[in-house]
Amino acid sequence: MSRPGVALVIGSGGVKCAASIGLMRCLHSEDIPIDLVVGCSGGAIYAAAIALGLDAASAASMTTTLWTRDVTSQPDRRALLSLVFPKWFGFDGRFGLKKDTILNERLAQGFGNATFADCKIPLFITATDFRTGEQVTITEGRIADAVRASIAIPFAFPPWEVNGRLCVDGFLSDPLPVGVAIREGAHVIVAMGFESPNQERITSGGRFAFQLSSIMTNNLLRASFAFHGLAHHSEVIAVLPQFSQRIRLFDTGKIPMLIDEGEAAMREQLPYLRRLLAASSAPQTTGAP
Amino acid sequence: MSLSFTGERSLGDLSQRRSRIGLVIGSGGIKCTMAIGLLKVLAHEGIPVDVAVGCSGGAIYAGLYALGDDVRDMEARSLVVWRDLFTKLHYRSLARAIAPAFFGYHEQVGLVDDRRVWDVLESQFGMRTFADCRMPFFVAATDYRTGEKVTLSEGRVIDAVRASIAIPLLLRAWPVQDRLLVDGGASNPLPIDIAIMEGCDIILAMGFESHMTADVGSFTQAIGRTSTIVTNHLLRATFAFYSTAHHAEVLPIVPLLDRDVGITEWEQVPYLIEQGEKAAYEQIPYLRRLLASQGAEPAVVAPMQRAVSAEIGATSPSTWRSTRPAAPSASPPASPPASPPASLSASLSAAPPASLSASPPASPPA
Repeated sequence: MSRPGVALVIGSGGVKCAASIGLMRCLHSEDIPIDLVVGCSGGAIYAAAIALGLDAASAASMTTTLWTRDVTSQPDRRALLSLVFPKWFGFDGRFGLKKDTILNERLAQGFGNATFADCKIPLFITATDFRTGEQVTITEGRIADAVRASIAIPFAFPPWEVNGRLCVDGFLSDPLPVGVAIREGAHVIVAMGFESPNQERITSGGRFAFQLSSIMTNNLLRASFAFHGLAHHSEVIAVLPQFSQRIRLFDTGKIPMLIDEGEAAMREQLPYLRRLLAASSAPQTTGAP
Repeated sequence: MSLSFTGERSLGDLSQRRSRIGLVIGSGGIKCTMAIGLLKVLAHEGIPVDVAVGCSGGAIYAGLYALGDDVRDMEARSLVVWRDLFTKLHYRSLARAIAPAFFGYHEQVGLVDDRRVWDVLESQFGMRTFADCRMPFFVAATDYRTGEKVTLSEGRVIDAVRASIAIPLLLRAWPVQDRLLVDGGASNPLPIDIAIMEGCDIILAMGFESHMTADVGSFTQAIGRTSTIVTNHLLRATFAFYSTAHHAEVLPIVPLLDRDVGITEWEQVPYLIEQGEKAAYEQIPYLRRLLASQGAEPAVVAPMQRAVSAEIGATSPSTWRSTRPAAPSASPPASPPASPPASLSASLSAAPPASLSASPPASPPA
């Protein structure tokens, strides 16, 4: 097996993950090919689009149609009842406050019956096993199923079963799964990650929960990124766009801005990436650069 | 806090330089009483400690130890402490959480009666300060607004401990030096990094994984499961990073329990202490070997950064490749694994911890 050169890892970050379209636009214009794509949560949508060979424009339009407010507009009343009366209404691990009908339809629209075998670039999507908490790397089957599992935000959408495992959102185990690219033997890893925003004022239980989740997942992101940066013998290039505006969950209107800033963030790292590629294309037998 | 300051109060024998030993007790609610078992073993075996670090429940016992309290006292008081700590609810908070519009949402939720918690902590720590400790002592907490890791080492110990045990939802955040702080477990459940920065050569790190409930049959259990998944991953990721980065020895003490112990199950404390003692004894032979080999030569306190670059430089791509596809085995790999251990206890119980240090004090057995 020939050694994969450049891997792209897109971490969780909701609508902010659209910045990866800009990243790809930059790499494309510079003629730097990607040999392997890994995606987690929101990043899984774009990882899949990239792997299937969608161009930037259709990837962008796919998000704007996929991710609209009505995806979360249908509360699941039965789930609410099961929250209050767990015994009568059968509360189980498949709990979600919102119905996932529209979400599933949209994913079917976006990805159809495309499978991992249809990908032009090897694709890896991460989720989290809800029973054991382990990270799950999905590499086969329908892409729509894998993405659905990876974006199963806890409490919002019900978990999704893939290959007999009940899966929830990939960010719970690793928000930026660089480890998958390392295990696949990638030489240079471009990792685009997003920190969750801190709440400015905590005025409700919901915001309190968001703030807690931000604190923990940001620390998980930093710790696992720090470890993988140390453990990997070669190079992990972090692309962490700092957006000029605050991005909310459904700010799909800001996607053009996200794409531009994602491209700019990648462009900043280009000289370094070029140097690494030049070094690795020369025959070498010993030592990391 | 500088090294010279800590050196002055070090218990180390002045005539002979020996390894600097750090004790780190992680977060884990009532499971932290297992630290009493560890402290009993340290006392019994006459193992000195130079630096104490604690997080959340672990801060209680690291603190009492650093202040010089007798471990038998701690054991005797532990039942009372945990019977009183989290068992009385604060009904107004409960009402606020359920109906914020009626009762006025407070920025912080705290379902447990705070006054009771304070009384319990006061009975243990009084108004003693960090300056009263017989060794340098550090408490890990989390900044509630920014989520950053915070290290406390000044002022009253009780304030630092109260901040560090502010378990989300149960206890309100606690202001210390103009910062609002919550549970250290939310950012740094097993704060080995603090002991590394204090220049420890050998670090005894007692950590606790959260237990996965068998079934999810209610909303509370669903919340519990979700947060357990994240905290366990955070524990493993930070542990993996710290032990890769540290030039010397991190001895993990991760007791295995045959049952789940909830935060209010104070009757289980004697069982927990016993398990902690057992887990600690398992590490003693290895610790003795380390002390024997390191005591002879002067301990090297290298900056963390230098150690890291040495570590990475020493790992050649070929060895990395050869270990990559192999499933985690009992023998410690020559290079760091590609992912944090799937389970701390599982990966560590089989063999002495993989020695990642550049200096080979004790070669791992075949």
